[in-house]
Amino acid sequence: MIDKNFFSYSFFPKNKRGDKIISVYWFAILILVAGGISAMVFVFYNQPYDVREIEANILTNNIADCLSQGGYLRDEFFDGENFLLNETNFLEKCELNFEVEEIWEEEQYYVKVEIYQISDLNNPVFNFDYGNEKWVVNCVFQEEKEFEKLSECYERRFYCLDKSGNQHLIKILSVINKGDKNVK
Amino acid sequence: MTPMAYTQRTRELLRSPEIFTRGKKRGGILVENIIFIVLNLIFLSVLILFLFKQGSGAIVLEQSYAKQIALLIDSSKPVMEINLNMEKAKKLAEKNKIDFGEVVRIEKNLVIVKLSEKGGYSYSFFNDVEATAYASGEDYVFIINKK
Repeated sequence: MIDKNFFSYSFFPKNKRGDKIISVYWFAILILVAGGISAMVFVFYNQPYDVREIEANILTNNIADCLSQGGYLRDEFFDGENFLLNETNFLEKCELNFEVEEIWEEEQYYVKVEIYQISDLNNPVFNFDYGNEKWVVNCVFQEEKEFEKLSECYERRFYCLDKSGNQHLIKILSVINKGDKNVK
Repeated sequence: MTPMAYTQRTRELLRSPEIFTRGKKRGGILVENIIFIVLNLIFLSVLILFLFKQGSGAIVLEQSYAKQIALLIDSSKPVMEINLNMEKAKKLAEKNKIDFGEVVRIEKNLVIVKLSEKGGYSYSFFNDVEATAYASGEDYVFIINKK
């Protein structure tokens, strides 16, 4: 049988002045602190790194580099009258590969390109999209913290000229899901 | 010693401040303080070790390197050579008896990083380039070429 003093406030001898006491309570506090920190560390390192925002940013930049060069629309995509980019040649022309890990059966990317003439910024003269359209609906909720598990969207717009000197506004929207590997 | 006598002796010992002071009552404050400091130091050391161990575990490093390399390849342009310092990965691979030259593999458009016998983490990149990787000292060199 353990002496009841073992659990008392004065298991360790008291300083006569009473200014410092080591007690079982101190160890209880230490254990609580250690448990709390361990739990926080476990939760922190158990969360995967979410790199989708950077990834979407790079994807948008790559598409922008693909469409224009030195501030001009590339000739291979715009012949002066028609835009020649479409779903069949997009990946090949822009040197992209949207294949993903086997854990996902469906496409994890979505890309939308809209080209406007500077005189009419409401109606695009050309637009096309590629990828899994279902991710794009999540962009609306993206701002709210509780919906961070949804896909990541990144939109960029820039101006460029065609070879005739006409100004165009290009909007590129990139959406990446890859939820299982970036959020829990 | 009978159980009763043992309990009695324990009781006396616990009640007596002499177990810490060895009979020198004036030395009690010092001994108590030393014990207090030593226990606190042990606690802090264990906690810091735990934090460092968690942060440098194979699972965390595999994921961070795989994603880092995939993003590097995504933002690269042919022809490029990228050097990535992987000192931490090398130390961990050596500890887990894994050849450092086989830590990073690039298959199609997947980066696979393996730092433990059973582990391994893969992440895909979208840049359609031909990427190859090889170890060089504590670094990994990535060669990016056009397909």
